Order: sequence, then structure tokens, then C-alpha cells
Amino acid sequence: MREGLYYSKDHEWVKLEGKLARVGVTDYAQHKLGDVVYVELPDVGKGAMQLKEKKSKEMELGAVESIKAVSAVYSPLSGSVKEVNSALNERPELVNTSPYDEGWICLLEPSDPHVEIKNLMLANEYAEFLKSLK
Amino acid sequence: MGFVGHPYIPNTREIREQMLREIGVASVDELFADIPAKIRLRRKLKLPGQMSELEVKRHVHAILSRNRPFTKTLSFMGGGVWPHQIPSHVKELVRRSEFLTSYTPYQPEVSQGMLQALFEYQSMICELTGMDVANSSMYDWSTSLGEAALMCSRVTGRRKFIVPALIDPERFSTLQNYVSGPGLELGKISYDKGTGQLDTSQLRKELRDDVAGVYIENPGYLGFLETQVDEIAKAAHEAGAIFVVGINPISLGLLKAPGDYGADIVIGEGQPLGNSVSFGGPLLGVFACRDDVKLVRQMPGRLIGMTTALHGKTRGYAMVLQTREQHIRRERATSSICSNEALCAVTAAVYLASFGPRGLREIGEACASNASYAMRKLRTIRGLKVPIFDAPHFNEFTVNYDDIGMSLAKLNAGLLKRDIHGGKPLRGDFPELGEAALMCVTELHTKDDIDRLIKTLEEILG
Repeated sequence: MREGLYYSKDHEWVKLEGKLARVGVTDYAQHKLGDVVYVELPDVGKGAMQLKEKKSKEMELGAVESIKAVSAVYSPLSGSVKEVNSALNERPELVNTSPYDEGWICLLEPSDPHVEIKNLMLANEYAEFLKSLK
Repeated sequence: MGFVGHPYIPNTREIREQMLREIGVASVDELFADIPAKIRLRRKLKLPGQMSELEVKRHVHAILSRNRPFTKTLSFMGGGVWPHQIPSHVKELVRRSEFLTSYTPYQPEVSQGMLQALFEYQSMICELTGMDVANSSMYDWSTSLGEAALMCSRVTGRRKFIVPALIDPERFSTLQNYVSGPGLELGKISYDKGTGQLDTSQLRKELRDDVAGVYIENPGYLGFLETQVDEIAKAAHEAGAIFVVGINPISLGLLKAPGDYGADIVIGEGQPLGNSVSFGGPLLGVFACRDDVKLVRQMPGRLIGMTTALHGKTRGYAMVLQTREQHIRRERATSSICSNEALCAVTAAVYLASFGPRGLREIGEACASNASYAMRKLRTIRGLKVPIFDAPHFNEFTVNYDDIGMSLAKLNAGLLKRDIHGGKPLRGDFPELGEAALMCVTELHTKDDIDRLIKTLEEILG
């Protein structure tokens, strides 16, 4: 868990950086997936929608594949994709070794962060949420 | 105790009643209550009575004897499934139970032999096509084409797929089925009336930024080669489209590999590689692509990979990149195929390994020169136009019968009476070619066979 980030129930994290927001998957998520072998990154310019209750293919930002599973990445905030972490093309394992730093997935320009951020959890809330999953 | 009514369902009356009680239904009839009474059959089916084993054999043999298989006739039929020599040892090896019964090699710890055989198949397909990655097979050429179109769309994010107007009509029909769900648009490119070659100026006009892929067949359905391949590849690539080439693999001992003229994806029909004609199946879908991570990640079907075992230097084989497939990826899988034609692929591997590059070249040369001899002889018959298109041909060619003063149906019936299957009629699919047929000549046809066809045609046409 890392302080200062916001977390979704789908195990993505988001970090506000001025007008932009950095997105990745949580340490819990990478643990559950196991060795990540491929990250399907979104196209720059792709529109993102904050994940509410119902998931749909249009809402997917990308996907993280491990040896035996694949998991869609949903966006914790609405907006559009400004930049992707192309280092993951060569080194997808960064999602495992550095989920909160080098393993980030993309940089969003959020459209309504101040409202939408309230739908996300703080670090301590996410920790409680994980406990409830056990 | 005892039988209640049905020789194949051995439940006793007691068991039946127990089952009905268990699910809370009073009678078997009640299970069909959902079917409206007025469409239910209230009497026994009108079927012939039981037969003994001997009677069944006689009955079935009588039906089968009406077939006119090419093994008992002289056949010039091709059109997607072609007769070729199959050495006895090919079947002997493939029928080994280790191959015959190991259908789905999910578990590498018990399937190394099968996995290695499929890996060898993939490797040889790569060598033949000039591609880097081949899957362990699709169902047939048609399904390979459908998957190729969808793959082009996934890779490029575009929604149009372009094919030649002289495409195999059955293949085109399968393609339409494949793209109708995802809603891809298909475009057809016309051809030069004299040579059959693709109209490249129309192609360039159609090649806008919505085109995901451009497809050609080489040799095409009507047997001739597309010679403008470099130009087509260049045009497709300049427009950001993927270049897909469909092939008959047996031609590649002789012809240039599509990888050498810019193909990104190569598909085809692997049946001629040691698999029987067998009334049209089973077939073997060839599917291969360049080693580009964008392509490979979106490739459909099973891939067998080779690696080094953890301790030691032995090789090991396993299915790889399975996260693309249905059993893991569910509705997001790269394709709707979750099987393959493993035994046909192993057959192709045994066949290719038996003949090697030189053998395959000899077979290709025999096909092309026999077909060329047949065309030359047919041209001596008054009223025949052979071939319709002025282009190089491989093992098939078209014949036009407009000027023989007889319908093709009547001519073919006359040939069949003399134990010869004439060409496959084309009128239904290509009315613009007139009264025409597609004829197939391979290394199996001797000079005598071809001369017999000519003599018989002369007899019938007077």
C-alpha cells in the first residue's frame, strides 16, 4: 500500500500529478496475477471512463497478462490517455517488481477528477477493503 | 425388471420411475409439455423395421456404390481439394495410436511427442511460406481467411477487408459469415478480362485509411498466378494495410514464398500435403505470419513452442501464448477457434519431411507441366478456349465451352458415362465466364490419362 494514491475496487491505483493522473495496478493485483508476461497498452488519445458498477469492453484501458491469466485494466478516472508506459513492451515484469513506480500503465488527462476521486479509496480504506476480501 | 421399449436405452422401468420422482415429474410426456400440442407427433415414426448386421451392410454398400470416387474413375476435379500422391508410410506413421488418439495436448508432461510433431509442422510451414510464426492449424483455408480478416482488423483498428473478385466463392461465403458479427466491410477488386490479374488501379483507389487488409490468392481459385505481387504488397503497405496471401502449399516447392514478396500473413489449404481427398475433408487450415509482436499477439489458434527443460539441456515443447485463447481469455480471446486439425497437421509434417524441398519441387514441376500438357492438348479441340485467362497456371486451369454446340452438363454426363469426371462447372459462381469449367491436373495424371480425356472428348463432340 502506498499513501497519497487513490485506489479502485478493481485494484487499479491513480496518482494525481498536477493536471494529469498516473494509473497502474496495485501490488495486490500483481500478486494475484503472478508473473506478468505482456501488457496491452491503450492507444494515446483513447477516451477513458471511470469504472462504476457495470464493466464493459468499451471501458477497458488495456489488459495485463500473466502466464496463466489475463485481467482487463479499467480506468479509475474518466478522461483521455495522454501517454503510455512503453517500457512495458520490453519489460512487462515491471508490473510485478515495481507496481507503483516503474510499472505504471498510462497517464490520463482526467475530465472531472475532483468529483470522481470521491468514488475511490484512500490507502487505509483500500487496506480495509483487501481485508474484507479474505 | 427388464427392457422398457428401447434397445439402446437400458434403463429399467424402476430406474425411469425413480428418475421421474427425483425431478418431480409424473410422466415422460410431461417433459415435453413446452412443445405445443398441435406440432407434436401423435404416432410412431414411419421408419423401416430393424435390420440384421448383414442387412445393414448390404443396404449401406448399395448406397455407397452409387458414388463415383476418383480412385475408380479418371478425375479432373479440383477446386479447393486436390488429389495427390500419398505414400503408404505417411498413413502408417500417422495412424500410430500415439498420434491418432492424442487430440488435445494441453498437458506437456504427457504429450511431448505430439507437441514436437506439431512444432515440426509449424516449422515446415514457416519454411515453405517464408513466414516466422505458424500456428498448429485452423479448420481449413476458408476459416483461415475469416480469422485473417478479423486479425487484420484487430491489429490495425480498421474495419474493411479487400479481396479479389475471382476469389473461391465458398471461401468468400465463409469470410462473409466471419465478418458479419463484428461488422467488417468487405470490398472486391475487379480483374483484367484478358489476364485475370488484379485491377491495381482500382485497388489503389479503394486503399483508403479504413482498409485493414488486402488479400490475394496465389495460385487463385481459377488456377492462374497473380504476377503483380510486389506492386500489390507495396500499395497495401503504403496504405497501412496488412497484406494477406492465400496459397496451395504444394505449389511452394516451385513458386516463390509469399514471405519473399511482402506478405504479412499467409494462409492456405494444407490438404494436398498428404491428406486424402475423401469427399472433401477433413481439411487443414494453414495460418502463418511475420514475427512482429503486434501480429503474433493477435494471431488466432494454437501455437506450440520449443524451450529448454529447466535442468539439463533437453528440449521441451508446450503450448505458448495461451492467454490469447478462449479457455483463459473467454470472450476477449483472439478467435473463436479453440481446437485445431492436429492429425491432419501431423500428416502434413510427415508428408513434407518425406519429400523434402527437392521432392516438393519435383511434385510442383510435375503438376505444372502436366497441366500445361493438358491445356496444350485441349486447345487442339475445336470450340474450346483453354485457358480463359492468359496467365501462368499451376495445377488448375479454366476451359470455356461456349462454342462446342453442347451444354457443359451434357458433355460432363457423357464423360462420366465413360468413367471420367470432367471439370467443375463454374457458371453458377462466375456467369461472366460463360459455359466454363475448372480442371485440375496433378502429378497423379499420366500422359495416357490426359490423352484418354482428349480422345473421349473428341468422340463425344464428334
